[in-house]
Amino acid sequence: MIGSPAVGSLRHPTLPDFGDWRQATSDALPVLALIGMLVCTLVIVPASRSVGGLDLLLSPAVPLVIASFSQMFVIVLGDIDLGTGYLVGLANVVSARYLASSPATAIGLFAVIIVAYMAAGALIQLRRIPSIIVTLGASFIWLGWALVIFPIPGGTSPAWLSSLMNWSPSIIPSAVVFAAVLCVIGQYITHRTVYGTLMRGAGSNRLAVTRFGWSMLRIRLVCYGLAAVFGIVAGLSLTGITSSGDPNASSNYTLLAIASVILGGGSFSGGRALPLGTVMGAFAISLVGQLLVFLNVSSAYQAGAQGVILVAVLAGRALLRIGER
Amino acid sequence: MTVTEVQLPEPKGRRPMVAVSAFAAEQPWIWVFAAVVGIWLAIAAISGRGLVGTMTATITLAPFLVLVGIGQMFVITAGNGNIDLSVQYSMPLAAFIALSVMNGGRGSAPIGLLVGASVGLVIAVANLLCILVLAIPPIVATLAVGLLAYSASSIQAQSFSALPDPALHAFTVSSVAGVSWLAVICLGMALVAGGVLHRTTYGRALQAVGQNRRAAQLAGLAVTRLIIVSYLISGMFAALAGVLLATYVSPSVSLGAPYLLNSIAVVVLGGSLIAGGRSNVTGVWGGALFLLLLTTLLNVVHIAVATQDIVKGALIVLVLALVGAGEGL
Repeated sequence: MIGSPAVGSLRHPTLPDFGDWRQATSDALPVLALIGMLVCTLVIVPASRSVGGLDLLLSPAVPLVIASFSQMFVIVLGDIDLGTGYLVGLANVVSARYLASSPATAIGLFAVIIVAYMAAGALIQLRRIPSIIVTLGASFIWLGWALVIFPIPGGTSPAWLSSLMNWSPSIIPSAVVFAAVLCVIGQYITHRTVYGTLMRGAGSNRLAVTRFGWSMLRIRLVCYGLAAVFGIVAGLSLTGITSSGDPNASSNYTLLAIASVILGGGSFSGGRALPLGTVMGAFAISLVGQLLVFLNVSSAYQAGAQGVILVAVLAGRALLRIGER
Repeated sequence: MTVTEVQLPEPKGRRPMVAVSAFAAEQPWIWVFAAVVGIWLAIAAISGRGLVGTMTATITLAPFLVLVGIGQMFVITAGNGNIDLSVQYSMPLAAFIALSVMNGGRGSAPIGLLVGASVGLVIAVANLLCILVLAIPPIVATLAVGLLAYSASSIQAQSFSALPDPALHAFTVSSVAGVSWLAVICLGMALVAGGVLHRTTYGRALQAVGQNRRAAQLAGLAVTRLIIVSYLISGMFAALAGVLLATYVSPSVSLGAPYLLNSIAVVVLGGSLIAGGRSNVTGVWGGALFLLLLTTLLNVVHIAVATQDIVKGALIVLVLALVGAGEGL
């Protein structure tokens, strides 16, 4: 699945090229990263060597996995969403404030958020503005809105959401089940639907897609709409796990989600949407954060560690790509 | 895609309206100054404060934002997605380190400012290594480097108590005719920056890179070197702004937080193109005055800080929607 080439890639579309070690390394990167992180964690944290322990370890990663999907639908076009973290925060706050008491209000607000995201996508397309500036400006709207609802963290999670997120089957960590479901959904959207193919195509070669008569505007609307939907689901999952709404709890998701997508095989130039890779990338990056906590690394160093991880992931990809040429 | 403006011969006997709109098209900063005057009058009308007092107070606060904004503008001028998102983190780090060096000693201001500026340059070099050597897109590279700087500031912030050179503090709060000396100097620096951008080979070459990198390369311009200098300017200006701000308010890790969006906002509001290739230093001053007056106005009508975030975010998106990336207003 990881090796499936992007539309418009120069490689042969069906034959995997086993002779190219760089491509093979590149494809195996998220797998190796996840296995490496899992082994490290199992060695360092003995309590994690059980289904229950793994469940506790992997569950906090679920919101990041979903947020990475949100980012993936923007990066596939060659755009970047600098608002992912605050979008998740807003959805977290809205669901913690309204979902239990008046579900209709919550759903209405979610609809508004989705429309607003699609409007941002339309703006980027129609006015040819770089996506980073629009999403950066928009991120302040999401943050401000969330702070208006909850100046300090608060709220509750509806019972159904808490029990779903705290579900712990005895044979397999629930996070693995959630990840598998997400993978199937993501793979279906990106590789089995018309717009999935179109968004990958548009990321690879915009001209080719528009020459075939497809509307770039519609593709952007679909992608930004999906980004909003997955951002909202990520916020919901966060509410279910933490049982409260906090506008700032997910602020670092923006960068972590970008890192997850790129570690998972995505490309800043667009054209690649790899749900399985993205899921593995997000789990690996989430484990790094938790491992730092287990190793008693001061919180002052954690932001720096995230920066180093991001640079390392991107530099690794860049070096593999340079070798390819 | 921005295209170099073609100078058409002036048609004779133009109607006044056409002349006005042509002037506005050539001087995009005119709009932001019109907005500044509008908000200025609104504040006076609503709060009953004196016009002069409101403006001098605003001008006194503006230098920090103008400095960061000018640096940001140099990077944005280079186009091709170049942007410096590390400014919000380099400001506090430079402030912490410069203040540690000064440690309240008299006459230590020059060495403090020098060290502060060097911190900015080091961060800029790290940005450049990521962008040019590791081929990481500028947005992500500068954010990642910024996170490292943030960690470094967090470590510095633990049990931090150093004070600036008292002379430097006295200077930043000193004023002439109600306007701080800092603002006067900053006005001078803006003039120099404007001269560099529009009158020197470096400035013109940088704008050419922003308009069309490939064409600039084929014309024999040293594109990489131009981009390197723009990031160094941005890093240095942000660091200096951070040090000066820390002599004004006590430093914290979130010292630079408002400057991420605001530094980009003043560039965009001032009529510079976000895609690069056309820049305007006068507009940066206009944008800074506008944002500060807007904050004053929102405070005067008692709008909460959270709502102010919404207003500013929406405003930037709105201005971008009106202006677009490729053409002027």
